[in-house]
Amino acid sequence: MLHVKNLTASVGEAEILTGLDLEVGAGEVHAIMGPNGSGKSTFAHALAGRDGYEIAGEAILDGVDLLELEPEERAAAGVFMGFQYPVEIPGVNNMYFLRTALNSVRRARGDYEISARDFLAVANEAMELVEMKEGFLNRSVNAGFSGGEKKRNEILQMAVMQPRLAVLDETDSGLDIDALRVVANGVNSLRGPERSMIVITHYQRLLDYIKPDFVHVLVNGRIVESGDHTLALHLEDHGYADFVADDAALSGAPA
Amino acid sequence: MIVDVLPGRTAALEQVSSLELPTKRDEAWRYAPHKALGALTFGPAAAPAAVPADVDAQIPEIEGPRLVIVNGVFDPERSRLDATPSSLRVESLAEATDEAVVGLLQREYDAAEDAFSIINRAYGTGGALVLVDGRVDKTIHVVNVVAPEVPQAATAARVIVEMAEGSAATLVETRIGSGDVGACNIRTEISLAAGASLEHIVLQDLPTTQIHLGRVDVVQAADSCYQTRLFNLGADYGRVAYHVHLAGEGAEADLSGLYFGFGDQTLDQQITVVHAAANCRTSQSYRGVLDDESTGIWNGGVDVRPGADGTDSVQSNDNLVLSRRAEVNTMPRLEILADEVSCQHGATVGELDEEALYYLRSRGIGQAEARRLLINGFADQVMDDLHDDVLRTWIAERLGPDHA
Repeated sequence: MLHVKNLTASVGEAEILTGLDLEVGAGEVHAIMGPNGSGKSTFAHALAGRDGYEIAGEAILDGVDLLELEPEERAAAGVFMGFQYPVEIPGVNNMYFLRTALNSVRRARGDYEISARDFLAVANEAMELVEMKEGFLNRSVNAGFSGGEKKRNEILQMAVMQPRLAVLDETDSGLDIDALRVVANGVNSLRGPERSMIVITHYQRLLDYIKPDFVHVLVNGRIVESGDHTLALHLEDHGYADFVADDAALSGAPA
Repeated sequence: MIVDVLPGRTAALEQVSSLELPTKRDEAWRYAPHKALGALTFGPAAAPAAVPADVDAQIPEIEGPRLVIVNGVFDPERSRLDATPSSLRVESLAEATDEAVVGLLQREYDAAEDAFSIINRAYGTGGALVLVDGRVDKTIHVVNVVAPEVPQAATAARVIVEMAEGSAATLVETRIGSGDVGACNIRTEISLAAGASLEHIVLQDLPTTQIHLGRVDVVQAADSCYQTRLFNLGADYGRVAYHVHLAGEGAEADLSGLYFGFGDQTLDQQITVVHAAANCRTSQSYRGVLDDESTGIWNGGVDVRPGADGTDSVQSNDNLVLSRRAEVNTMPRLEILADEVSCQHGATVGELDEEALYYLRSRGIGQAEARRLLINGFADQVMDDLHDDVLRTWIAERLGPDHA
């Protein structure tokens, strides 16, 4: 479903992704872990289409090269990114934003647009999923939201957009244990045979709630180790030191 | 030859021939198009032979009494003055000749007159008279239409508003235009007696060939409440100058507005609020969006006179600049000559938030739509407490160049 091959990303002189390979099959959940600065967020943004990176390589979703597309075209192709820091947009109504987003994507796919009334049903279902109260949709997008509310809003959007590929960038950061449970439940209920997920996290904690099929370790901009969920447990006990040292030796850089 | 000569008007007419127009050196007129202003020909108000066809569709369909002025002259055909409640007298100024009205026409203000306000006194024989004594629930709508028959023709009109003690009303003033290069000079004079309250909305959207010179003088008695929102949305040069004089203790004035420029428009807000009595509260909150080569000016002053102790004033001006060639000039001014005063002010100038743009696009929203959402979101915050859907729609349709 998703084939990432030799993906590189740099900003100016700094090479952040240095040849990342990843294969994600339909319905699979892949966790990507790694130390700070290893390129986890850059990988997510490279898939979502943020400006400002020099990108090379391949990222092919269902036969479509994402790297050729604008961010909104990637969304139409089925990519959804859950932001680590969801952006506050004062003055833009959350409900209006969601409906505009869904209908933009539907229009791009040649589907009919959903009316305000029908959308309400879609939105209400998504709200239940993340245990949100009704007033939530009438507020401005993320403006003045608590950290937990912002992350729940991301999952709410994901539930509305029903993406083919969800890339969740540190969705667990800044969440207390209750919010983490809500967010994880939301993610789990959105798992399905036709939907793949890449869950980026710094800590093993999230993976207690969202059981990945595969765990990858990202160091210095490429994946240096892959395994099943036990790899995450190993990282919890031993940290990234082994991998960082190995990678440094491999690339000939001083440790 | 002007027939119904009033003392104030005679004096003004005498001055007109020797008037000196403001120059770049006058702070309040620094960004005005002096050459274009000098080319205007002001004269006695005269209705056009025919009102252009595109005028009617531009008038927001607000329920309630409506008085329409075209080129300074009352237009009975477009006005709707039957069925006004007993607490309201609204009529054409040119026809109002009783003694009480003559007094109102000669009212003098603390704020200095300038060349264009003198021209207004001289030629502004037409306009609207609005006398409120009690609570008026229906919105009062005064429409000014600019429809020049020859290029550079300019007309003047006056809107006189008198709020009796304890009365309350909502007044919407719409300024629109059609056709050739031209201008209007509209002065709104508002007096609020003790405890009166007025909500005053100004909708200004002239064609990009025309000039709007607006001046609003407000005098407030004790415990009165004046709330105004300006939507300065289009004109070659669109100017509105407010002079709000709080003369009675405990009065409140809440001024806010939005200016939205594109092309090479210049949209100029000149605000002066004078605290002349103790314990008055005022706020000024203006937002600007400037695209292309447009220029926005916000010159907002608070003048706290001796004895106006306990003054509380807040000023803010936030601007969104969408193009490298657009320009914003923001100037908060404070002069404080009293004690126990709280005056806050702040101004910001920023660009469209790239991160927010990316966020919206990552949700499938195309670049143009995402920009529009962000711009409207910024502008919408001025409309937060504007509940009339007719007004909201009218404004929303005029944000940006799409409607031109």
